[in-house]
Amino acid sequence: MTTAPRLRVWLDRILFLGPGTLLLVMFFIVPVVVDVGIAFTDMGRDLQVTGFTTENFRRMFGGDRRLPSVMLVTLIYVTCTLAIFNIGYGLLLALLTTALPDRAGGFFRAIWLLPRMSPSVVYALLWSWVVAPTDFGLLNQALTAVGLPLADLKSNLPMLLVVLANGFIGASFGMIIFTSAIRSIPQHLFYAAQVDGAGGLAIVRHITLPAIRWQLSFVTIYQALALLVSFEYIWLITNGGPFFDTTVYALYVYRRAFENGQYAYGAALALGLVLVGAALALVLWRFFDMRALLQKPRIEVS
Amino acid sequence: MDVALAASAPETTDWERLAARSRLRRRTTTALLYTVLLLGSLPIVVPYLWLFTVALSGRVGASTFVLWRTLAVLLPALLIWSILRVGIDDRRRLRVCEIVLVIVTFVALAVLTGPYLHTGNWRFLWNANIADQLKGAAGVGGTYPSVWTAFGNSLFLAITQMVLVAAVSTLAGYYLSRFDFRGRGGYLKGLLVLHAFPAMTLIIPIFLLLHWVGLLDTLTGVILVVVALELPFAIFVMKGFFDAVPWDIEMSAMTDGASRRQAFLLVVLPQVKVGMLAVAVFAFLRGWEEYVFVRTLLLQKSNWTMSLYLFWMSADVMGTDYAMVSAIGVFYVLPSIILYTMCQKYLTQMTLGGIKG
Repeated sequence: MTTAPRLRVWLDRILFLGPGTLLLVMFFIVPVVVDVGIAFTDMGRDLQVTGFTTENFRRMFGGDRRLPSVMLVTLIYVTCTLAIFNIGYGLLLALLTTALPDRAGGFFRAIWLLPRMSPSVVYALLWSWVVAPTDFGLLNQALTAVGLPLADLKSNLPMLLVVLANGFIGASFGMIIFTSAIRSIPQHLFYAAQVDGAGGLAIVRHITLPAIRWQLSFVTIYQALALLVSFEYIWLITNGGPFFDTTVYALYVYRRAFENGQYAYGAALALGLVLVGAALALVLWRFFDMRALLQKPRIEVS
Repeated sequence: MDVALAASAPETTDWERLAARSRLRRRTTTALLYTVLLLGSLPIVVPYLWLFTVALSGRVGASTFVLWRTLAVLLPALLIWSILRVGIDDRRRLRVCEIVLVIVTFVALAVLTGPYLHTGNWRFLWNANIADQLKGAAGVGGTYPSVWTAFGNSLFLAITQMVLVAAVSTLAGYYLSRFDFRGRGGYLKGLLVLHAFPAMTLIIPIFLLLHWVGLLDTLTGVILVVVALELPFAIFVMKGFFDAVPWDIEMSAMTDGASRRQAFLLVVLPQVKVGMLAVAVFAFLRGWEEYVFVRTLLLQKSNWTMSLYLFWMSADVMGTDYAMVSAIGVFYVLPSIILYTMCQKYLTQMTLGGIKG
């Protein structure tokens, strides 16, 4: 085969890889650079830059008295949602539904996928109706039915509400990954364990859990990252309130920039998330099969 | 010896009884599993059911009256169904019982809730000024766009986004799968980092970029942003599908005289149709549900998508007419659920670079 003309090679490259690369550079690389730049300015509501300053970082490390409590809220929110729902409940659902016949198991999994299928606005609307403080809210109807007093989760236990709402969605991700992992465990291991007299719990403890430990740590890191940076449902359901009680870090960044018009300070705060995000993304590398991913193409003709 | 065996046999080898006991134990476990899962799924099912019943029957406020009646039919039906499944071993008899159960359930539902159903909550579909009428002149928001404007915007956003993501990721996925070039490893690694990288953190600089370029408050701007954010994942999925197409297919096409581009278009592309479909459906759904970026990057009311329409409607009209807001919610959520259910087969085929197992 003849060596391809250089022009042709370059044309192919631009045709195939060009559009994608352009978009990725425009909306990933450039924004990171812009963010770093803006963080050192004094951009305010009018979107004008009048001077360069390190004031934003000074404010971040010490000046902002609200920041420590925001960090604490974020920590509580991420840990609770991750441990109770994304891992715990997801694993429980996977274990229970794989113990049922295929179709029945699929039915229950489909139910738990419902929140993921519905647009965020609809899902948030449902939650705010369910926990509505008046006696028409579903939760309060259930509470009065068993003789308990009315509850107002939104003002009294906002963190619980936020964890529940995000957890009901988060559980399905772990459920899907764990289900396919449990399915791929060779059946004979379970038979062997049963013959040896192992009960259900012993089988889970000594066969299932060790077999899916990779998936467990993958879901943990992946979902920790997702919880850390997403604020969509919190924003819709409690709007970070009451006051700042459910304002997690990502939402704090957003509120500072778009509510208070402190774009420069928001950009500086966002840098923290960018760093954490990049670090966790690098950790996630370990979970991908790099050799298969980077395998060289075998034919090269143009 | 014989005597001893004969004496101990009746006690230790009553196989019938042992089998019966183990059957009973298995059935109890299964029944327990069903119960736990049913109860555990109620917090999800009931609110959705509520949304649907209120949209179809609510008159004043979000009354739960029809919901309880529906549940009073559905819960016993589900209970009987699981008892049937656990209790009946014969396939055909089970099928017959199930059909009877479904018919009885439907009749009961029709009798108990039928008289309360009406279509009045759907008047937002044909009355464009509904929001202003409900709010009266005192509303803060001014005039609302018609629901069809929002619907059209959402559809436009989702479809354009879908076409762009599918086209761009197919091209890039093919090149990355088949061509070797300097820096290919680095490109792929970078792409993997971008895939895991949380794009939401870049919303401030993206907002500023669009403002500077003049694309702020245009659907084009939002579409470009959402396409870019979808790309790393979509490119990986497409690369995976191309990797699964054997090299020989292309080779033989090219020995038959096809050029590289012809081989791609006519021979390889038809092999990855499923992959393109999966990526396209996924992109469509993402575009259809998008909220954070449209809320931040679109300001004018004529640019509203369905998510914004529902959000502002629920914020403004909520106190007046819950039933209509839930009808809008159903109108918005149904396409998503239908598409997900129909395309589940394709969506589950998307894998990303093989997670180690």
